[in-house]
Amino acid sequence: MSTHEVRLVWRDGREAVLSVAEGETVIDASERETLGVPYGCLYGACGTCTGRLLDGDLVHIERPRGLKPHHRRDGYVLLCVAEPRSDCRIEVGAEIQADLVPNPWK
Amino acid sequence: MSTDEPSETAEKHGHEHHEVEGPGYPTPAAMRTESEREKTAFVMGLRVGMDVDEPDFVGVVDVDPDSATYGELVDTVEMPNKGDELHHFGWNTCSSSCHAEGLTRDHLIVPGQRSSRIHIVDASDPREPEIETIIEPEEVFEHDLSAPHTVHCVPEGKIVISMLGNADGELPGGFLQLDQEDFSIDGHWEVDSGDMEMNYDYWYQPRHGVMLSTEWAAPETYYPGFDLDDVEAGKYGDSIHVWDWESKEHRQTLTFGEEGLIPLEIRMPHNPEETEGYVGAALSSNILRFWEADDGHWEWEKVIDVEDREHPDWDMPVPGLVTDILLSLDDQYMFFSNWLHGDVRMYDISDTGNPRLVDQCWVGGNFAERQSVGGHDVRGAPQMLQLSRDGRRLYWTTSLFSSWDNQFYPEMGEEGSLMMKADVYPGEGRMELDEEFVVDFGDAPGGPARAHEIRWPGGDCTSDVWQ
Repeated sequence: MSTHEVRLVWRDGREAVLSVAEGETVIDASERETLGVPYGCLYGACGTCTGRLLDGDLVHIERPRGLKPHHRRDGYVLLCVAEPRSDCRIEVGAEIQADLVPNPWK
Repeated sequence: MSTDEPSETAEKHGHEHHEVEGPGYPTPAAMRTESEREKTAFVMGLRVGMDVDEPDFVGVVDVDPDSATYGELVDTVEMPNKGDELHHFGWNTCSSSCHAEGLTRDHLIVPGQRSSRIHIVDASDPREPEIETIIEPEEVFEHDLSAPHTVHCVPEGKIVISMLGNADGELPGGFLQLDQEDFSIDGHWEVDSGDMEMNYDYWYQPRHGVMLSTEWAAPETYYPGFDLDDVEAGKYGDSIHVWDWESKEHRQTLTFGEEGLIPLEIRMPHNPEETEGYVGAALSSNILRFWEADDGHWEWEKVIDVEDREHPDWDMPVPGLVTDILLSLDDQYMFFSNWLHGDVRMYDISDTGNPRLVDQCWVGGNFAERQSVGGHDVRGAPQMLQLSRDGRRLYWTTSLFSSWDNQFYPEMGEEGSLMMKADVYPGEGRMELDEEFVVDFGDAPGGPARAHEIRWPGGDCTSDVWQ
């Protein structure tokens, strides 16, 4: 069984390396290792688990409904429905989701 | 006698003159005058969208001023999973089943807005609530529903929950019915949903066989945060729906358009004779009144328009964002919050079509001068309201929804939100912030939390309906 090494990078400088097995989402693996990556609905609708892919090949196994096309172009991914296909580096943490929706009046 | 005693005995007080003893109170006035002061508050506490690796919880806050732990979060009932986003919740039974013997208001129905998981919490001892059973998301998805919101118990042994999406978090939503006895899922409540697609809150007036529901958006639209492009694309609601409570069929759609964008919380008077009510349109920041006309059709009008305000640091005028609204048990006063401005308003609604602003309390938000209370910075702004049964104390929390909090008040995502209170003087038509009362959920055990809906053991202004 192939596994991929996923490096998680938080904006406060913290980093962790995660071994993600085949058929496992990044959130499955981060929960297994109790790394505290945020999540919500677990089916790609809510965006709580938003990360940003910095390097590597990551695929969504379900449609990431919580992301708009421009978010996907900018590298945002929903980690509850994302499986690595190579070693990856991903920016994670609660702040990433907030990138998706700036204050529209400010 | 305290309404915080285990509820079977506590609520008998209102039933001394009745042959049948059911839960709740025979009339709104009985609840207002014969229950005692609230001593415990249940408050939804949540960690979703925060870097706090802990689950959400049902918080127990001591609101008994004679207690040594007054104003403190004295217990947290942690959920077994993370990521639920506890939001609104309700009772297994209320005054609408007042004449149903053998029912006791002793279980809280606590849904996860994002997870679609529904927790049943035994609250027969208000200071020691515990999880009794859980309906897992998969069981909810089987009925092609998701995103549970408003919980009302309804007569004939049922609980009905408004559901905002289908199993994929898309439209349409619907209503999920549970059995009051064993908390199993019966299926959909509605028989025919007409042109209703979006859902949010609902209220019903059983004496007139009517139910009204409101609209937020599809979960996949509002879950990730607020995007004005989605409003322009018509993905947010602007209508409410009238249902036949008996036949469970959709009857009429009231479309507000620009005057009523994102109609969220809906309230009808507690007096079961009334056939009117109010809904707060969050984005338009209007209060709309609706009523049943002589021919049985429902009509509406705008009765309050909260003016947008210019902010020196913002490019566009800032709407108030009316996110919660409630009516006192005597139906004399309406309170609502302007979450982006930072105020709670109190209106005299004795002339229902002409609400009269009598007082306003500014704290936090983007416009209040007062940005701290009792040494605590106010993170967020008045949002989810709850009034004491006697109408003399208005409590609120400051968080709206995790992703929307992170967008408008990001500090809540790091430090949690607050619960606050104003003393209300209904005889004088005014209210005053209680600077001594602040519950800072930033200090919650296990790490900062947001605080959302508030309820009292024994029922409250937004839980109980009368037949």
